Amino acid sequence: MLGFFKKRQKKKANGLNDKRHPEIDWLNTIDASLSINLEIIKEKTGNSPDVIIRELSMGLNDSVRTAIVYIEGMVDDQSIKDFLIESLMKNQNLQEKVTQQEPLGLLKKKAVPFGDVVTGREWDQLFSSLMAGEALIFIDGTAEVLIIDTRGGEKRAIEEPSSQVVVRGPRDGFTEDIRTNISLVRRRIRNPSLWVEPMKIGQTTKTEVAIMYINDVANEKVVKEVRRRLKQINVDSILESGYVEQLIEDQTFTTFPTLYHTERPDAVAGNLMEGRVAIFVDGTPFVLLAPAVFIQFFQSVEDYYTRFDLATALRFLRILIFFISLIAPAAYVAATTFHQEMIPTQLLITVAAQREAVPFPSFIEALLMEITFEILREAGIRMPRAVGSAISIVGAIVIGQAAVQAGIVSPAMVIIVSITAIASFATPSYSVAISARLIRFLFMVAAATFGFYGIILGIIMLTVHLCSLRSFGVPYMSPLAPFTLVNNSDTIIRAPWWAFWQRPRLISGENTVREGSRQKPRPPMNREMVSRSNEKGDSNE
Amino acid sequence: MNKRLFFIFLLGAVLLSGCWSKKELTDLALVAGLGIEKNEEGKYVGTIQVVNPGNVAEGQQGGGSGQGPPVSVYSATGDNIIEASRELSTKVSRRLYYAHTNLVVIDEQLAREEGITKILDAMDRDPEFRVTTTVIIAHGVKAGDIMKALTPIDKIPSSKIIKTLKFTEESWGEHLNVNIKEVINALTSSGKEPLITGFHLIGDHDEAKKMESIQQTAPAATIQTNGLAVFKEGKLIGWIHGEAAKGSVWILDRIKRTNVTINWKEEKGAISYQVMRQKTNISARMQDGQPIITVEVRAEGDIGEVIVPIDLTDPHVFLEIEKGAEEEIKKEIEQAVQEAKEYKSDVFGFGEAVRRLDPDAWETLKAEWDDRHFPELQVEVKVDAFVRRSGLRNKSFLSQTEENR
Repeated sequence: MLGFFKKRQKKKANGLNDKRHPEIDWLNTIDASLSINLEIIKEKTGNSPDVIIRELSMGLNDSVRTAIVYIEGMVDDQSIKDFLIESLMKNQNLQEKVTQQEPLGLLKKKAVPFGDVVTGREWDQLFSSLMAGEALIFIDGTAEVLIIDTRGGEKRAIEEPSSQVVVRGPRDGFTEDIRTNISLVRRRIRNPSLWVEPMKIGQTTKTEVAIMYINDVANEKVVKEVRRRLKQINVDSILESGYVEQLIEDQTFTTFPTLYHTERPDAVAGNLMEGRVAIFVDGTPFVLLAPAVFIQFFQSVEDYYTRFDLATALRFLRILIFFISLIAPAAYVAATTFHQEMIPTQLLITVAAQREAVPFPSFIEALLMEITFEILREAGIRMPRAVGSAISIVGAIVIGQAAVQAGIVSPAMVIIVSITAIASFATPSYSVAISARLIRFLFMVAAATFGFYGIILGIIMLTVHLCSLRSFGVPYMSPLAPFTLVNNSDTIIRAPWWAFWQRPRLISGENTVREGSRQKPRPPMNREMVSRSNEKGDSNE
Repeated sequence: MNKRLFFIFLLGAVLLSGCWSKKELTDLALVAGLGIEKNEEGKYVGTIQVVNPGNVAEGQQGGGSGQGPPVSVYSATGDNIIEASRELSTKVSRRLYYAHTNLVVIDEQLAREEGITKILDAMDRDPEFRVTTTVIIAHGVKAGDIMKALTPIDKIPSSKIIKTLKFTEESWGEHLNVNIKEVINALTSSGKEPLITGFHLIGDHDEAKKMESIQQTAPAATIQTNGLAVFKEGKLIGWIHGEAAKGSVWILDRIKRTNVTINWKEEKGAISYQVMRQKTNISARMQDGQPIITVEVRAEGDIGEVIVPIDLTDPHVFLEIEKGAEEEIKKEIEQAVQEAKEYKSDVFGFGEAVRRLDPDAWETLKAEWDDRHFPELQVEVKVDAFVRRSGLRNKSFLSQTEENR
């Protein structure tokens, strides 16, 4: 057994060190000969048909042989055809000059109508540019290559984010393209201090990852820590920001998310203004925000757009919702198996009448229904849209009147499961909702063994656990624990905008002041704006 | 490693302890009421009313209402209450659960002969039994028969009795809803005796046990309040009814809303004065070494009915009505005091007022309070009634018909 593992480990180690093309490894820089270079490219890309090599000749008598290399679909086809090839082939003036002068410099200066043009000579650099969608221009006899930024290709249009819908608020959401995503945020914060640091993570996938922060607002230590943790990542692939999230978390043994993820550029912009750091990952519309605090998951971007009183009421409701989704079935189990004296007589008789025909103890009954519901929910998410209606029909049978009539569960239990389900759907953050989903079962076990005493024990343990969590060094329960009075204007309550004097102290850096003094609107004492047109006699009276 | 070991121990503690004190609802017999009496052999007979949940809650599967009786009644005997209760387990298939027992019915005979002091200890001591449980006396009927009678509307007879008592105390004011705690307080304090409402069963006692009884518009038997039981040293010594009972409730400051009927000139019961708010204060003072009790009542109410043609827009008429109400209330209170004096039982807690005023004097009065001092006690009654409104009308249409004639 042990030997088996050893072997596998060895193999793995080999795999990592394995250079697939050791024969060209020494050729770190390119050759002067065009044909050799093209051969190397073909060999290294395995002759993949989407690597396009367009050879053409320039100069008088076609004396200068060149080649444009790009990857189909990764580049903006239109600009390659319309500008690059056109200008290289049709420009008479250029054709004459090319033979006389050093062609590369000339092309760079005169012939390539693109914003970002650099030269390169190292294969590593060339290949990573090529794979990113840039076009390479090789010229025979020159051991240097023009790298032209032609990145483009098909991408999804900006659509309304489906995971965080708002009634009032911007409708744009992130797409899979990192550059679109970055630009969506930059459009909202038009300030040179909005800094973006690109990096590539993933040995094989070479995924573009960028960290974004506002230089004089974000906490430098946090930025440094984010950078360090990202640099430490050494995996073969990053296909979604969830990969990154799990690789840079502070605490792995928890069901609670310690990084916030969002699909909304306005949420990112708002959080950047609070001093957070955003982590963009190419290929996913979900952007990570660090550091995250617990209370953040009960807040919705819309809270900041609606009036503060309504937003505060909604936040209270969400806390209630969280507790319902956490302990409603547990409380039912505890009340009906341990604390019958706590239920009002009339209600107890009603519940007892319902339980009379049910063959299971209430814990089993609750467990049965909860598991049924989880199955139903999982089916509802994973199944194709076409069978969705079938699931809802069958679902209504298993958690509904039919289950009651079959004598398997009591109607009260159906209500409890339903309210729990609705509550867990109503939690604004999906990641907190699913962790509550998991913990709910622990609470049910605690309730079935110790009653309300068990539930209270569970809540205490949960609180202790939450207080022990950190997100990039920031206490997860802050600013509630440790308590920071000024920052509590944006926790369970949402103070009006004119009272948001400070950024979260534990998250942002030194620059905590958000707004000037006396921001509360005051109506003028005189009433000049009242229209005087309706003077006496003017009205229809 | 230490942490892991700790966790395993913790897990063991949780999983191995089992479901301590767990009781499934389907294993519980919900006792709604408890009746206590004594049989010929001198043993206690406990009668319990066990709820049949399926027959109470409407529209449930497996049964439904109307198919069986909402409660089942069992009795057992024992030398004390707990013994009787334990013996009941030979008859009932489930664990008797007393946490929802809201009514205790004590047999009149038991209360007269032995007193109620002995039986209350079990209820006071038991962790399940509530001290807020209402206590009543079965008046002229066996406690067991009250327990067995079925009632319409409120299907559980115990809750019918409690609700009747609550409602009548609130709107009529001749009865008192007292619980175990209050009874024990009254029994233990020197200078106060409990007053407990009596209930009797009007109609056919045997028919009342059958479902047919409540399937008629007029049930075969009705459980009705009947007087207030006067206790002395824990034993029932008599009953007070009617105006005297209402007067007692006035003195105890338990009147919420009641009706005072006032005579107008020669017309009897001409005006109905509806009390909305009231406050009664009992104060004591010493005069020549003798205590004097003052009962001060401030009442406020509306006019509910007028059957004589009077002009209610006239403030003088209001004042006269107020005077009439004051006299009427005073009469009730004086009658209550008179009857209590006859029973030689200080049910109003006048003794306590004296004790609060002059504890030293009370020490000497205490021994013979009920038998000598209380019956001779001078009680001053001051009533201040106020008419707030005259209802929706001020001048009755009666005065118009009078004029037309």
